[in-house]
Amino acid sequence: MRKLKSIALAGLIVATLPAAAHSAGTVRIFTFEGYADEEWVGPFEASTGCQVNVTYTGSVDELFAKMIASKGADYDLISIDTSLFPQYIDKGLIVPFDAQNIPNLKNLLPEFADVAEVMAGESRFGIPIAWGSIGLIYDKAVFPEPPTSWNALWDPATASKAIVLDDANNNIVNTATLLGFEDPYNLSLEQFEQVKQKLIEQKRSILSYYAGFEDGVNVWESSGASLMFSMGESQVISLAERGYDVGYAIPQEGAIGWLDTWALSTGAQDVECAHQWVDYVLAGDVGPMMTTAHGYGNTTQSNDGLDYADRLNWLRPVESLEMRAQVWSEVKASQ
Amino acid sequence: MSGRFSGATLAKSALAVAILGVLIVLPLAVFLAHSFYRMEDREIVRAFSFANYAELASNPAYRSVFVQTLWLALQVTFINTVVGWIVARAMWRRRQRLHFALILAVAVPLLLSYVIKIYAVRMFLGVNGLLNSTLTSLGIIDEPLGFLLFNMAAVRITLCVVLLPYSILPIFLTLERVPSRLVQAAEDLGASATQVFWTVLFPLALPGTAMATTLTFVFAAGDFLIPELVGGPNGFTLGRLIFTQFGLAYNWPFGAALAVLLVVVTLTAVVLGQRLAQPRWQRQNA
Repeated sequence: MRKLKSIALAGLIVATLPAAAHSAGTVRIFTFEGYADEEWVGPFEASTGCQVNVTYTGSVDELFAKMIASKGADYDLISIDTSLFPQYIDKGLIVPFDAQNIPNLKNLLPEFADVAEVMAGESRFGIPIAWGSIGLIYDKAVFPEPPTSWNALWDPATASKAIVLDDANNNIVNTATLLGFEDPYNLSLEQFEQVKQKLIEQKRSILSYYAGFEDGVNVWESSGASLMFSMGESQVISLAERGYDVGYAIPQEGAIGWLDTWALSTGAQDVECAHQWVDYVLAGDVGPMMTTAHGYGNTTQSNDGLDYADRLNWLRPVESLEMRAQVWSEVKASQ
Repeated sequence: MSGRFSGATLAKSALAVAILGVLIVLPLAVFLAHSFYRMEDREIVRAFSFANYAELASNPAYRSVFVQTLWLALQVTFINTVVGWIVARAMWRRRQRLHFALILAVAVPLLLSYVIKIYAVRMFLGVNGLLNSTLTSLGIIDEPLGFLLFNMAAVRITLCVVLLPYSILPIFLTLERVPSRLVQAAEDLGASATQVFWTVLFPLALPGTAMATTLTFVFAAGDFLIPELVGGPNGFTLGRLIFTQFGLAYNWPFGAALAVLLVVVTLTAVVLGQRLAQPRWQRQNA
């Protein structure tokens, strides 16, 4: 009797399999928080039948480490900023999109339609989705005036209440800029050493590092921080939602600016659903929804209020991300 | 004699060896091999060298992380063994119902998710946490204490709290096996409570104590999640360094060398624990 039951059950499962496989493709997305919110994932799933499987990364370093470890096999789509394309293309981790299958590309604002960094000849490797900065978030009660220099993250008076993102390149670029190096993307060994010492000095006074947008907000809350080297505008909104009166500052030295894109993993399994996803997020209202929810500039509709693009130090490819990862790991291990 | 080994027995043994080999020995061998490779232009180069070990030995930052981690694990082991003994001794020879409730209270945290326990401690120690808000509302402190979290002390506290059941349970279980007649005999012959403890209970519960110290030391030395979540910038440990090499820096060979070092430390602790569990006088008796 029991045997009969299990045979019947197996038959039932087999019978439903082909139908399920046919209607439900899945797009596996590896991204930062904020690019695949339920607000537009839900409608996308409903309208295309593709399931969305989102994994969040805490840093640029983590995203690369996971992609190269699996040669991209674990994910279909990733979100990377424009400075990373040479490295990802060189390592064979991403492949071009089929632009014919993304009719909504026409919705890109002119300044984002032909970004050179994401193209290789006629091949389109990246689709710009959002831009923003990595500024300073400060507690307005502690700072009546916004901090004007990145030195606030070193000055013991303010740094003792500061938290900093755990990310090699952003920390090194920012510190090199503060030290006045001409090209923070191309450092000599001697400059690396200075940056390293400066970061070790910072480490001695700050409260904590954090990894990821949400983690930053949680660490802010449990550490009683009043200053944060942020991951972007989105954290201002999250902190305000938790009742903190915070402001966002671009210090006089400038802040890192980034343009994030969708890129197609070499190991993508469901290329069709991946194309449907990028086409969907370029459609009418997804960009503005993201701007409202997270404060990033979107790439499809004009962004009122985001007026500091010219004060940003736009991320560019660096001499060696490996070297930067090494320096950062030594900083973290130092006393 | 060889007739004793039937085909079935042989097949079973072969299966056991194969499972052990595939699931334990092989991964460890892969690890060991990786520790001799190196990175070049973000690719793992399979060329044999001692470069990773040389880097480990020569870089003062990594050396001090190693020493700091061992020291941390020893402190946690000591604290938890003492506390574990106090709790186990208090639980020992209680009435049946209370006895059961106490064991349950110690064992239940083991069923909870590891991450949830860490977050619970983090929420407890944070500036808006239960500890600070209680102390503030009682008027003991004026401002929340910030130094409870995101430093080495926080790592120590959290490790102690989370690992405590691993100390209490083994000690308690060996205490339970001490024949009550021995204790009664000692008491009848006029031994004080202290004498009973040091001459009867402690020696007989040594295997449990050894198990407790070994488990605690091994967990504390290798953990990465607790230091990562409550350690802040300066509560940096070997486990965290290994995590960084694999999860962020993508330097598997160096991470593997660090892991090999951790395995050596762990195995040493296990061997020492074994010796402690069976002191010479016990071995001689056997």
